[in-house]
Amino acid sequence: MPILQKKNPVDFSFSLITALASFTVVLLIGGILAVLVRESSLSIQKFGIIKFLVSTDWNPVTESFGAATTVYGTFVTTVIALVIAIPAALGIAIFITEISPNFLKGPIGIAIELLAAIPSIIYGMWGLFTLAPIMAKYVEPALQKSIGKLPVAGMLFQGTPMGIDLLTASVILSIMIIPFTASISRDAFNLTPAVVKESAYAIGATKWEVVKNVVIPYSKLGVFGGIALSLGRALGETMAVAFVLGNKHEIATSLLDAAATITVTLANEFTEADTDMYLSSLFYLALVLFVLSFIVLAIAKFFLLKAERKYSR
Amino acid sequence: MAETVAIEARKLNFYYAGNIHALKDINFSACKRTVTALIGPSGCGKTTLLRCFNRMHDLYPKNRYEGEIIFEDKNILSNEIDLIALRSTVGMVFQKPTPFPMSIFDNIAYGLKLKGVKKRSDLSEKIEKALKHAALWDEVKDKLNDSAYELSGGQQQRLVIARALAVEPEVLLFDEPTSALDPISTGKIEELIVQLKNDVTIIIVTHNMQQAARISDWTGFMMLGELIEFDKTDKMFTAPSEKLTEDYITGRFG
Amino acid sequence: MNIEKRRKLESFIALLLSTLAAVFGLLWLVFILGDVLVHGIGALKLSLFLNDPTPPGVTGGGLRNAFVGQLLITVFATLIGVPVGVLGGTFLAEYARGTKIARIISILSDIMVSVPSIVIGTFIYAILVKPVGHFNGWAGAVALAVIMIPVVLRTTEDMLSLVPWTLREAAFALGSPYYKVIIQVVYRGAATGILTGILLSIARVAGETAPLLFTSFNNAFFSVDMKGPISSLTVSIFQYAMGPYDEWHMQAWAASFVITVFVLLLTILGRLIIKWRYR
Repeated sequence: MPILQKKNPVDFSFSLITALASFTVVLLIGGILAVLVRESSLSIQKFGIIKFLVSTDWNPVTESFGAATTVYGTFVTTVIALVIAIPAALGIAIFITEISPNFLKGPIGIAIELLAAIPSIIYGMWGLFTLAPIMAKYVEPALQKSIGKLPVAGMLFQGTPMGIDLLTASVILSIMIIPFTASISRDAFNLTPAVVKESAYAIGATKWEVVKNVVIPYSKLGVFGGIALSLGRALGETMAVAFVLGNKHEIATSLLDAAATITVTLANEFTEADTDMYLSSLFYLALVLFVLSFIVLAIAKFFLLKAERKYSR
Repeated sequence: MAETVAIEARKLNFYYAGNIHALKDINFSACKRTVTALIGPSGCGKTTLLRCFNRMHDLYPKNRYEGEIIFEDKNILSNEIDLIALRSTVGMVFQKPTPFPMSIFDNIAYGLKLKGVKKRSDLSEKIEKALKHAALWDEVKDKLNDSAYELSGGQQQRLVIARALAVEPEVLLFDEPTSALDPISTGKIEELIVQLKNDVTIIIVTHNMQQAARISDWTGFMMLGELIEFDKTDKMFTAPSEKLTEDYITGRFG
Repeated sequence: MNIEKRRKLESFIALLLSTLAAVFGLLWLVFILGDVLVHGIGALKLSLFLNDPTPPGVTGGGLRNAFVGQLLITVFATLIGVPVGVLGGTFLAEYARGTKIARIISILSDIMVSVPSIVIGTFIYAILVKPVGHFNGWAGAVALAVIMIPVVLRTTEDMLSLVPWTLREAAFALGSPYYKVIIQVVYRGAATGILTGILLSIARVAGETAPLLFTSFNNAFFSVDMKGPISSLTVSIFQYAMGPYDEWHMQAWAASFVITVFVLLLTILGRLIIKWRYR
């Protein structure tokens, strides 16, 4: 780092301004935490931390609030979305880096980056008008007729298929994070040195064996980081799920039930909250989401930094 | 031959980052209108010494000088020295060409504008002079507004020399200026350096002993932060007084 | 079956599955994009851009208010977010280069890029809406700026770091003070990269909905008063799509089409600039 030329007043002021600008990031993160804690203090005092997190109540009339239903909804949609998205994203990444003919690599890569740029509200609206009817008419009845007949697993598909439910929301969420996850995984795969791959081919490995035994182990830190980053994004996604989840505060046992996530509850109820306790509890939910996603994103960043350090050696 | 000293280091010690002792008791001088070369194995401190003369080390924290460097009757290591003024009288050319991301014209105008030259006609005049001086004028006179990146590596290096010359420095420091160039461009730069010594004092760090022998009047041989031998180039390459110097220039190590 | 054959078969099946997964993933995306294009173009009318909303049942309404509102919010967000981001990135890549503090701020910004945007909405509500007493356009612009800052800051930092260090030393060696080195040499060298970062960050916030829900809110009437609630395309899409009227649904599709095209064009433009500069 070049040291400051304190003798030059213009240079000194410029450096101060830039320092101030970069500190806004710290200020914002600290500010968000502080403001959310302050705003939710009413609710924190009344419900505590553990009680708030395990209570399934969400009743504006009796002013009894708990986060369990929305945290549950957030986790279920996120987990199902990742279960669907990860194989597809890894498939795309493997396809681009190892299988696709060269002339297709560029276009598919660009297509994926573009799709990652489409605003989430577009995914959400498409889900409401196009996907939800398809789910209700074809996919969900088919699932009920097959897996729904099984013991235990069948529990997941009970109820009338309406299309506005956990399953549809998860599917949309997964479609939304596929391009993002694929593009990070591809970048991680691409970092495998060609020499290492060549030496595996040279001892007679098949393409799949090279992917399985060389590329994936070599890039797993980066891929983990990418998946964790996608997890963080999925946790906090609002608009892709807001249209098709129904905002129902119950612990749904069937994937065909409407439910609520933290984000959907905020989007639907924030402007309607009419009492201080109600609003304070919504801020409390936002605080839970902020802390949760911050931790997940920090873990993601940790993996990515570790991967970076490994490759740069 | 009465040569006047242009810049002189007296008992110069230099420490990187507080404690790495990179230069040890250096006594060195460069005479006016001569080329002085610094040679030695990598890491011997020759570039470190070169960068003391325009106080480049001050850009980074915790670097420390001891001793004196006398230039124009002043110790330039003292705290009162205005670094900005110093650097416009002691210019520097780097290993790789460093054209700025602007046109050929603006590249050379950059240093002039820093010195307060504003009038377009003054600028044009000085820029033409500098480019001619650096033997680049004929090649670029019709494309002064093109990006400097359009030039070849050798041309870029001469552009950078012209940029340094434009502010009319007393001393010009070259840090391995040809190590990134092809042999033909190298030849042109060497020719140019020999010509330039009519106007400026030149100190050049080089990896290439033949280059030092070809273009310099004086040569300093450095090793492990010490100036082992410092003498006329002819003497240095024919009858060195130190065993280490002889070993080095006959290629027995390094 | 001998072992080679089995390995080859295994490889074939695995690669086939990867390809199918890729096709599965990409098909959905083509489906969505195609759907937005078909519905959107079908619903595009000149009145959409020229008229303000009409009460449900009255035909001929448009979203002029939302287009103008969106433009205002995005422009002001850019005016706030870009300078802070660029200057902040400058600190990390120049004055604080290589220091621990730069490293920490850089990592925090990376995390901040992915912090749920709806949380930022609640934060801005608490500091800019609640004290004022009503929703306002400024709050929306600031919310989007907050999302932009870390994005612009990180790209600026990366782009400035790509400018070779010797270029700065060369400028110092001519006797230039650091701020002039940065403004006249380093910024020029990184200009296209920074511009791309700015374009991509605008693309990112132009489609944001969640942070506007409780900041700029919505306004059924034409308004350019940033001190009051102001309409935006994205919030209008949310409201119209969830509403019961077919006419509203049509307009929501048309607005989605416009936003998608805008965002994709910006993204493509950004990529083209990078490709053209760093080919």
